[in-house]
Amino acid sequence: MELIDKLSILADAAKYDASCASSGAPKRSSEGKGGLGSTNGMGICHSYTPDGRCVSLLKILLTNFCLYDCQYCVNRRSSNVPRARFNPEEVVRLTLDFYRRNYVSGLFLSSGIIRSADYTMEQLVAVARSLREDHEFRGYIHLKTIPDADPRLIEQAGQYADRLSVNVELPTGESLKVLAPEKQLITIHQAMDTIHQGQQAVAGEARAPKFTPAGQSTQMIIGADTTDDSTILRSAESLYGNFKLRRVYYSAFSPIPDSPNSVPLAPPPLLREHRLYQADFLLRGYGYQADELLKGPGNLALDIDPKLAWALEHRDLFPLDLNRAEPAMIARIPGIGIRTTKRIVELRRQRRIRYADLARLRCVLAKAKPFVVTADYHPPQGDSSSQALRMAMVECPQPQQLGLWG
Amino acid sequence: MGLICLECEGLFSQWRPQARWLLSHGIDPSQVSWNGEREADLFAAPHGLPAEPGPFEARIPQALPPLLEAASQYLGDQRWSLLYEVLWRVSQGDRTAMLAGDAVGSELHRRIKQVSREAHHLHAFLRFVERPAEDEGPAYVAWHEPAHDILQRASEHFIGRMGRQRWLIATPRDGVFYDGSTLHYERPCPPKWRELAKGQGDDTHALWRAYYTHIFNPARVNPAIMQGHMPTRFWKLLPEGDLIPRLVVQARHGKQRDGQAQAVGERRGKTIAKGLEGAQDNKKGDPKSH
Repeated sequence: MELIDKLSILADAAKYDASCASSGAPKRSSEGKGGLGSTNGMGICHSYTPDGRCVSLLKILLTNFCLYDCQYCVNRRSSNVPRARFNPEEVVRLTLDFYRRNYVSGLFLSSGIIRSADYTMEQLVAVARSLREDHEFRGYIHLKTIPDADPRLIEQAGQYADRLSVNVELPTGESLKVLAPEKQLITIHQAMDTIHQGQQAVAGEARAPKFTPAGQSTQMIIGADTTDDSTILRSAESLYGNFKLRRVYYSAFSPIPDSPNSVPLAPPPLLREHRLYQADFLLRGYGYQADELLKGPGNLALDIDPKLAWALEHRDLFPLDLNRAEPAMIARIPGIGIRTTKRIVELRRQRRIRYADLARLRCVLAKAKPFVVTADYHPPQGDSSSQALRMAMVECPQPQQLGLWG
Repeated sequence: MGLICLECEGLFSQWRPQARWLLSHGIDPSQVSWNGEREADLFAAPHGLPAEPGPFEARIPQALPPLLEAASQYLGDQRWSLLYEVLWRVSQGDRTAMLAGDAVGSELHRRIKQVSREAHHLHAFLRFVERPAEDEGPAYVAWHEPAHDILQRASEHFIGRMGRQRWLIATPRDGVFYDGSTLHYERPCPPKWRELAKGQGDDTHALWRAYYTHIFNPARVNPAIMQGHMPTRFWKLLPEGDLIPRLVVQARHGKQRDGQAQAVGERRGKTIAKGLEGAQDNKKGDPKSH
């Protein structure tokens, strides 16, 4: 099989992994050195595909032959897809060729399970080792970790890769039993713990060799089972807490060809995935707890964002006086982000904040208005119940164009 | 005294001493213009001020000059006079002029953001083409069309990235050549550089185009989001650019029901028997049709 055919099949097989991030790596440079590549922590999206996703890395499978039969996966053994396999040298060459042309900032390599978990993991490690040692490659490497592989192989992988990820796949152990019978939540957690231990071992030791400096991440498929957002967010929160994950990615289940009866034929609304990402960002960046965003079982509202939903539930805390409020509370005002909060605090050291300043600071005034007080502005009292505000702020639903075949 | 008209040839390094001189004479922004920014320039009278610095010693916070330098890469109206207005107000003790909450400060920060976005576009969307390295010339060349004056600063990024490789970037305005140890900057761009940079693609283009086609998930087609991140003005410079409209149309006409690319669906499939290492050809034999 020609290289271009392998690449086509094995990129097509890899597209269901949402992550393509190249951020969080330490500063590395090849200035005046042999070899190739740099990282600066920021990450670069070198292109965008028409689905709006960033292309930052060469994201491929080493092979899509797979012994497992995960129902949601296009590469499951019972799936009737064309199969291909790269040898490690081909992946190394493609990575370097793409990197030199500035198509990508590195490699994200994953694989179907062939022969055994250990054998598969060894192959992934071999690619990363060759890039780093034979070619002095200093660009970004993300390896997907096979959960059942020997912890020693995972430790080796962590020495070459900027990021390792173990996919939790589904939000609950029960769903995993039904839809991914060969996988177990316990081994997935063990692999995450192996990575976490590796990170702990070098934490604070400036001279120690780096271990997954860009952290570990995971992916959860949304809408292949019936788990609600409340369970999903609590599950994500405990992953952040227990294994210090850098990111949890949520991937709306994407219908696959020849779909088995165990998974739905239709995708969940992409808006649900979007709301989960917004809620996740509030957990990571703003100090919200999952309990605050969803008190009981159920899903996040689709018509308004989770930060606005929280503020509407807590009208007693608002409006906030921007000239006096704590920065952490200002960041909880809908339409005002962390960056704007910093700028408000900078400005109020010089002079009083006025309403016109908010537009210049690019606050979303339509959202922020009922929740703020400035030197010259106070929201009108009485006539604005949370219900009425919510009605006024519902996002217009995006008109959906139907595909020709529905 | 009439309007003072100055020329800095688009260079921050020339603007800076001019601004310092103006400040020292206490000349306020309404009396100055650069590079023919205003009509009135044509009729401006000679200002008759001495070339030596004046008596006023301005105290400027350390954080300000880097902000001004970043904003100076912005190409647009009032490119230089806005910078002087900020500098003037800060030197008079009004530091809000350098903050985003101020009317002038917000324009300053908007420009800085545009400039850094355009530098990021260079790092992201530039595409090198490999050429036969038989001479001392560049092994990798690229043509890029930045909207702001960012090339000299932003191209330093590729020194770290490309190691000892020799590379060249040409734009309609200027160009850089890295010879493996030193970065050479030229403005205007030498015609020879321009010619080199506009060469044809190499063999790897086809692989990249295949990758781009197959990593796209047609079930999630959403061209508006893509355009927000990757402005259409860059598409003609990208080897994958002409694929975009075609992929969108294909996705809209039938490929939207699942994520697989059409070409893969048309190939012969293989299922794998449980417990066996090898795969078995699909017994049904027929290539799948979509």
